[in-house]
Amino acid sequence: MGQDFVEVSINVLKLIVIFLLIVQAVPVLVWLERRGSALIQNRLGPNRVGWMGLMQLLADAVKFLFKEEFVPEKGIKVLYYAAPVVALIPATLAFCAIPLGHPIKVEAFHMLGHSWGPYVFPFQGYDMNIGIVFVLGVSSLAAYSLLLAGWGSGNKYSLLGALRASSQVISYELALGLAVVSMVLFYGTLNLSEMIRQQQGVLVFQAFGQMISVPWLPNWGIFYQPIAAILFFAATFAESNRLPFDLPEGEAELVAGFHVEYGGFKMLLFFIGEYGHMMVASALMTVFFFGGYQIPFVNPDEVYQNLTLSLGSSTLASVVTGFLHHLVFFLKFAIFLWIFIQVRWTLPRFRYDQLMDLGWRTMLPWALGNTMVTALVIFILNRSVGG
Amino acid sequence: MASESFLFWLVALLTMAGALMTVTLTNPIFCALSLAVTMVGVSALFVTLDAYFLAGVQLIVYAGAVMVLFVMVLMLFDLKHEVKAFTRGIFSGALKIATVGLTAGLVSGAIFATMRVSPPTGEPHLAPANDLTAALGQLLYSQYVFGFEALGVLLLVVAVGAVALARSKGGTHAGS
Amino acid sequence: MPLGGVFFIALFVALFGAFLLWLASRLGVKVNDPVKFESYECGLPVEERKDTKISVKFYLTAILFIIFDIEVIFMYPWALTFRDFLKGGFGLFSLIAMAAFVGIFVFGLFWEIRSKALEWD
Repeated sequence: MGQDFVEVSINVLKLIVIFLLIVQAVPVLVWLERRGSALIQNRLGPNRVGWMGLMQLLADAVKFLFKEEFVPEKGIKVLYYAAPVVALIPATLAFCAIPLGHPIKVEAFHMLGHSWGPYVFPFQGYDMNIGIVFVLGVSSLAAYSLLLAGWGSGNKYSLLGALRASSQVISYELALGLAVVSMVLFYGTLNLSEMIRQQQGVLVFQAFGQMISVPWLPNWGIFYQPIAAILFFAATFAESNRLPFDLPEGEAELVAGFHVEYGGFKMLLFFIGEYGHMMVASALMTVFFFGGYQIPFVNPDEVYQNLTLSLGSSTLASVVTGFLHHLVFFLKFAIFLWIFIQVRWTLPRFRYDQLMDLGWRTMLPWALGNTMVTALVIFILNRSVGG
Repeated sequence: MASESFLFWLVALLTMAGALMTVTLTNPIFCALSLAVTMVGVSALFVTLDAYFLAGVQLIVYAGAVMVLFVMVLMLFDLKHEVKAFTRGIFSGALKIATVGLTAGLVSGAIFATMRVSPPTGEPHLAPANDLTAALGQLLYSQYVFGFEALGVLLLVVAVGAVALARSKGGTHAGS
Repeated sequence: MPLGGVFFIALFVALFGAFLLWLASRLGVKVNDPVKFESYECGLPVEERKDTKISVKFYLTAILFIIFDIEVIFMYPWALTFRDFLKGGFGLFSLIAMAAFVGIFVFGLFWEIRSKALEWD
């Protein structure tokens, strides 16, 4: 957590801020989703509460708070209430492990007759060496929330929805995991910050003993691993139960899936969890394939040095660099969130057998093939260098 | 460091509490969920040992996959019958006594075993965590590569066995 | 050690959620109506869940997932160390070791597909 009081308290504060970031992003995303769907379907969408209807979900949240709370008589109270709370945890834990900006270096300073620092604060909740394994591990706990909700409600539609949801989530976890394996193979590290560092500058790679450089493209993962990118993104749709993979909610067959018996604020907590998974997916897409928080073609260290020269204070320059890169990250991140919304209102829902087919018989073999081909290409290219 | 040992004790207590609840609760679903808590606790214990990769694997495989399977399977059964079958009768009584004996033996064995181990002296030799993961990989794919391949075959056998069991007799997908 | 941070935020989130639920249960008006507490089944009379038959496919999917997940897990350390093996001159060995493993994996997968274990109807 840190060495002294200042470092520990900043780290704790950082974690809370990241969590609140997820929570406060949900109203904005819901607004975006409703306005966006209205735009796509040539409607107006919410436009009464606040400017352009922006306050709509805040009003809804207040309404949710004043709704009646009750447990269905066949439900199991503990599990019924635990499920929405548990839904929040995996997404938050995973999101805290993703680097959101350039690390901030703080020079040693004097305060309260004591000298503090120097510190380096990573622009993320916690910097994990095993980064991506932690993110996948924590995300795999998301199935519990579904199962708890399904069982705890004591409704057979809930149970069926939960079983469907969890088998869907686990089916796509394989293709997801394999797409990540090929990225690990490519970067040679599990650490997310290290992956971002490797995507600096312009597209340059070594092949058959020669350096090939493409000066008009940034050195992003997507240009090396397009198949992994597609597989990963598709699998994350299934993981977060979004259309076209929202079978667990199939209104026609299952009423509404695992959360039939949920209403009011509990429902909102499930929503935060779902949007949290979307955010984790978008952030991982950015980190793996689109250079993370880096400005294309620009080295963050150069930005830092130039800012130090022009601002005079290296701490201030570091803070500005951190937030500037966070803004860049946020821009890329927002694009993926928009794609999530756009896809939801564009594609129809799959049938359950098609969904399972796609996961097991299409995406899994492709992911496996992609991993092996990646290994083979790395092997061949590096061999020629040595020879 | 004080905070580290505090965390260790916290995690150890959580894990033990989960394990105790697994054996003492009567509702199988709650048992499985407590076992899941235990698995998460074990993963955290791996972190206190700087075995980050193993911690992640423990989360993904045990907490994320095996326990999800357990909970899912338990939900498929009519549980009321199971509760009755395992709380009454001579057979279950004998099982209970045997379990108590086994637990007592395990606890006393653990105490004796830890008393005999002398605490390590000198500075512990620890490599950074990332290197530990890499070291694991290097060992696994060079020295223990045969075991690794054997594991592949073993998993294949398990997969075939599971399919065979699921379709053998009874159930909605019998025959065909 | 990030464990403290992980525990802290997990606890914080749990308390945050629990607090909001508690608040919602305080603020809401309670009206007692026996019909409300029944399971929701689109307004039809509730059918008791005595023996809901659930397809064994769910079990099969879960167990096959575990098996393949373990295989995928074993590929992580390999992916991490593949470049080290290449540098050490054992690239081909490492590649063949993994190719054999993946070969068994693919064989298992195709067997499952051919035995129609992964087919839903």
